[in-house]
Amino acid sequence: MHAAWCLGAALAALMTGSPLAEEVGDRWGTADRERAYWPIVEVPIPKDLVIEAGAFATLPDGRIAVGTRHGDIIFISGVDEARPRPDYHLFATGLDEIFGLAWKDGALYVTQSCELTRVTDTNGDGRADRFEVVSDAWGYGNYHEYAFGSKFDPEGNLYVALGLSSSYHSRELFRGWAFKVTPDGRSIPIASGMRSPGGIGFNEHGALFYIESQGPWNSACSLKFVKEGGFMGHPISYNWYKYAPNMGPAPAEPESRSRVLTEAERIPELVPYAVIFPYIRMGRSITGFVIDRTGGKFGPFENQMILGDYTQSLLLRATTEQVNGVWQGACYPFREGLSTGILNIHFTPGGKLLCGGTNRGWPVRGLKAYALERLEWTGRMPFEIERISITPNGFRVNFTKAVAETEGGDPASYVVTTFTHHYHGAYGGPEVDQTTPAVTSVDLAADGMSATLVLDTITRGHVHEFDLGALRSRDGGELLHRHAYYTVNEVPAAEGAN
Amino acid sequence: MKSPRSHFHPPSGLRPWRAVLFALLVTGGVGHAQSPVAPVIPGLHGKHPLNEAQRGALLIGELRCAACHDGMSADHMKEAPDLRGAGSRLTPGFMARFIADPFAVHPGTTMPDVLGAETPEKRREAAASIAAYLSSRKVGPAPEPPEGEVDAYDGKELFHQIGCVACHSPRNEAVREVIGEGVIPLTHLPGKYRPGALAEFLHAPLEVRPSGRMPDMKLGKMEAASLAAYLEGESSAVPDRAATEAARIEAGRSAFQKYNCTACHQAEEEPLPVSSPGPARGKLDLSRGCLSDAPGATPDFHLDASQKRAIRMALEAPMEDAAPAEQVKMHLTRMNCIACHVRDDFGGVAQKLDSYFRSSEEALGNESRIPPPLTLVGAKLRPEWMNAVLYDGRVVRPYMKTRMPQFGEAALAGLTELLAEVDHLDPVELPEPDRESRPMMRNGAHLLLGDKGLNCIACHNYNGKESPGMKGLDLMTSYQRLQPAWFYNYMLDPGAFRPGILMPGYWPNGKAVQTEILDGDTDLQLRALWHNFSLGRSARDPSGLRSEPSVLVVTDAPRTYRGRSSVAGYRGIAVGFPGGWNYAFNAQNGALSAIWKGEFIRVGWQGQGSGNFNPIGKPVQLAQDVAFLPLPDATGAWPLRPRTSKEQPVNPDPLYPRKHGYAFLGYSLDEDSVPTFRYRCGPVEIEDRSVTAGTGEGMSLRRAFRFSAPAQTTVMFRALAGSIESESPTVFRTDAVRITIAPGKTRLRPAADGKQELLIELPLPKGESTFTLDYELLR
Repeated sequence: MHAAWCLGAALAALMTGSPLAEEVGDRWGTADRERAYWPIVEVPIPKDLVIEAGAFATLPDGRIAVGTRHGDIIFISGVDEARPRPDYHLFATGLDEIFGLAWKDGALYVTQSCELTRVTDTNGDGRADRFEVVSDAWGYGNYHEYAFGSKFDPEGNLYVALGLSSSYHSRELFRGWAFKVTPDGRSIPIASGMRSPGGIGFNEHGALFYIESQGPWNSACSLKFVKEGGFMGHPISYNWYKYAPNMGPAPAEPESRSRVLTEAERIPELVPYAVIFPYIRMGRSITGFVIDRTGGKFGPFENQMILGDYTQSLLLRATTEQVNGVWQGACYPFREGLSTGILNIHFTPGGKLLCGGTNRGWPVRGLKAYALERLEWTGRMPFEIERISITPNGFRVNFTKAVAETEGGDPASYVVTTFTHHYHGAYGGPEVDQTTPAVTSVDLAADGMSATLVLDTITRGHVHEFDLGALRSRDGGELLHRHAYYTVNEVPAAEGAN
Repeated sequence: MKSPRSHFHPPSGLRPWRAVLFALLVTGGVGHAQSPVAPVIPGLHGKHPLNEAQRGALLIGELRCAACHDGMSADHMKEAPDLRGAGSRLTPGFMARFIADPFAVHPGTTMPDVLGAETPEKRREAAASIAAYLSSRKVGPAPEPPEGEVDAYDGKELFHQIGCVACHSPRNEAVREVIGEGVIPLTHLPGKYRPGALAEFLHAPLEVRPSGRMPDMKLGKMEAASLAAYLEGESSAVPDRAATEAARIEAGRSAFQKYNCTACHQAEEEPLPVSSPGPARGKLDLSRGCLSDAPGATPDFHLDASQKRAIRMALEAPMEDAAPAEQVKMHLTRMNCIACHVRDDFGGVAQKLDSYFRSSEEALGNESRIPPPLTLVGAKLRPEWMNAVLYDGRVVRPYMKTRMPQFGEAALAGLTELLAEVDHLDPVELPEPDRESRPMMRNGAHLLLGDKGLNCIACHNYNGKESPGMKGLDLMTSYQRLQPAWFYNYMLDPGAFRPGILMPGYWPNGKAVQTEILDGDTDLQLRALWHNFSLGRSARDPSGLRSEPSVLVVTDAPRTYRGRSSVAGYRGIAVGFPGGWNYAFNAQNGALSAIWKGEFIRVGWQGQGSGNFNPIGKPVQLAQDVAFLPLPDATGAWPLRPRTSKEQPVNPDPLYPRKHGYAFLGYSLDEDSVPTFRYRCGPVEIEDRSVTAGTGEGMSLRRAFRFSAPAQTTVMFRALAGSIESESPTVFRTDAVRITIAPGKTRLRPAADGKQELLIELPLPKGESTFTLDYELLR
């Protein structure tokens, strides 16, 4: 399901019945300052309920459905109240590890380990009484074979991402694949090569993405575009191509210890990581993600992606863009200090971010066995890197507050370094091929809200790491988070050039 | 607002104007209603550390002197209530009475009498006009009452348990306040608030009083409503009506400015101007004005002689920044932290209030019920944790009934930094062990914590798991909360930091009591514990802290649970009935695969467990292969489910049983929660429903199939597999189970494993048909 869950050490520990102790990495150290902008409000859970939230959905009446690892679906109301003391209503119970919930036409579509199920209350007594299989087109023969479900796309399709067997193998049908389940009930395999998905959904432009965890063929967690017909990078699941004639023959085997873009040139189906999350610095086991469409209620990051992290109990932010037909983008620290391992997150009708999860079984920084917490924006504007986007000869950095000219106009204030990873079958991997491009000029916009950087080189396949700690806002403040990480797959052509 | 359990019976049908009378009555014999008391700043009535001039400085802030007088410190000055929504909160009658005679209506108030120069008639007139004006200041609709039953009895419990009594008097059974001094009386509450408004205020007091003197007690809506019901009685149900004539409102607005209410209160979005500020600090005559014995036209705060003396002393002293330690004392007194917390030689729970501080783990002693001392707290807590406690409401002592209030950031700004500056312990380095020694250190900590070592878990929860003994503070929170030097010193001598604590010292005089673990080396042991706590959730559970798998219990209705199981496969479903019969269904292959009596199932929700289930009673295992085949497919050997092994871990037949026409369609629960499974055998849709039949020893599981066939067809049902005996044409048994079937065409044939299988040929007409069989358990 995610990186830390799958370490050989963790597996060994499983056999002895106790997970090996493991450090979860240093903190950013920004929690105390983040509080001023996004305080964390506990949503109390009644003593007799265990809510290890794995999925959320908003119901037409404004209540929020929570699906749990224990297999319950609980409707909660009043989450948006200033001091939430929600009512909890048990809608359904006895399901198998819920990691997907979506509402359509009077029914909840529940992605559980065994299948995608349409759950309805036919007699209106408030309890689910009908559970219909929508799709069970995949094999299930290992407890680590988690299934993650998306919401519906505008055409009414729902997507399911299937983890590998024991996180290393593909021993049951289509483990490591993604499915499209159509409104007329067809289950179509659309992509192979997943390892240990942590969430699947749509980016801010409506394209289908999933979160991959660090492990073999993945030196860090990453956000990947789920391309129909695509290969997501881990070749262990090639054995099922013969059961998916729509996908054609299996792609060429990737060469280990290569680089992902090198292999992508050789293997047209291979989809490179769109956003790499540098391991430990930017989470260790990223899970559910959502797009901020709160219309500004949640702050200045409208139409951006917020992602949860299990191990470090924190939240990250990402932006994506398509360059030369390939998805890529950047990630940014957002908020640390949650109380449990985050499995999924969800925007409430009131524009607040509900976060839930558990900390059992794998190393987690947060100390609560399970928790629901809510983030809300105080209305204060933090000084943040709003987004980074690529230009033909550098990057444009947007800010949430005006940057002071003194530092903002000085190229030395923009420290850029790069690295990439091996693309290989070993578990995880170091950052390699480091470079330090020169920022040759900077053009700070007159309003101070953006800066356009020109670099002497941009290296495809590399994460470009920004440290803008020298910048000051016009009111003298330091950046709440000084770092950002842009993954370059493609560089746009200069206008006019062709 | 009914209160069935209420011990509280206020006079019913009180007319609003009588509310004051009622308020006077409930104060009982303590006297402040008859002879109004001076403004009460609760922190100054306890064991506070301030000298005379500091006391004066505190009063200057709490009475808002800087609102009228230039040159006085406005740091941490109390804000007056925000009156922009006064009309939706307060009754006009209360406002009129209160403004006309603040000390009689609300003894101890910090609001001055500003109408001192007026005749009694003029006073009433001005107060009524201002009340009419404020009543026109409305924001939002009346608050929605919470759903459910509001219970004044719950309110009474809350009032006396969560810490309200730190600043307000406890009440006796006759609802009389029992403490008459140094508390803010609440006898004025009946009749003050419009319906629902007191609950709203208690739910979020910082909204209208941002300075946190009345802090947020983390009350839920229902709690706030219950507390309000207790505090108000039933007398405020019918608010009087405000005068609504425009002229009256305008007159009130003028009076509100004329009497300089605007210096303290904001009643309109665009604040009204302050009309007549008082003289600046340097030009004050300290025997006149507010400090004189007959203030006349200046505000009358009803100060007593000691308060005047303190204020004069503060004003005569030069203005200078207080030292950090003194600022801390001011903070803790101003917010009355010292009502609950000891620091150095001041503060602490007063003897008369001790019995109101309670715990659900009282066996843990005072530590479980009295809020922790603040001595050296700046060296104890990590600053980020202190902020989390102060501003995020984080708590680690769920057993303590008294709540840590939320005072708001405005009130406490700078306190964390001040405490860090003032409090000091010599630094202690507890370095991370190097890679080689980590396993040894972790093992050492594991042993120390467990029941074979110091048995810390006998009194402490650990890593989110409850102690088998007393449920004390979760040890795993230590690292995120504490500074290393405090941890180290505290462990060496807990009693030095918390006199009277139950926790023994395990390293007296620096010598380890436990001499076998980590060589009895004190430093090594403490470093190992610290390292262990830094691991958080991934640290091993100490011995003695074992949690059993969760047991799912069937009570009054059948229960259906999905999960993997050795008795039902990965797509397994367990069904339990009241009365102690249970079965499992393998939904992957469409087979009723196990039956057992007794308790239902254990579920693996520990560690990484993803909810696998195991029958609690010993199950009778039945076949898990596909059970129905279209007749043509059943002529050869029955197709058995694929098996994997260590040598052959990949499913060798991934399309089984789909290629044999099987598909699981789901299940539904009827009114009695009995599941009916639905699946396909080729074109035939099968409903499969089992219930218990008979009673006692004669009990059985009755399974009924309902077939829907689009055309006439025949299916084969494999009813039983194993060493089968035929007792009659309709009764068959193994050594564990007997089945009785409806008459039909049966075939008992050798199976691939050398045993037998019982096949039943079922010709199905077009449309619906049924077939039933009973299972009896023979062991």
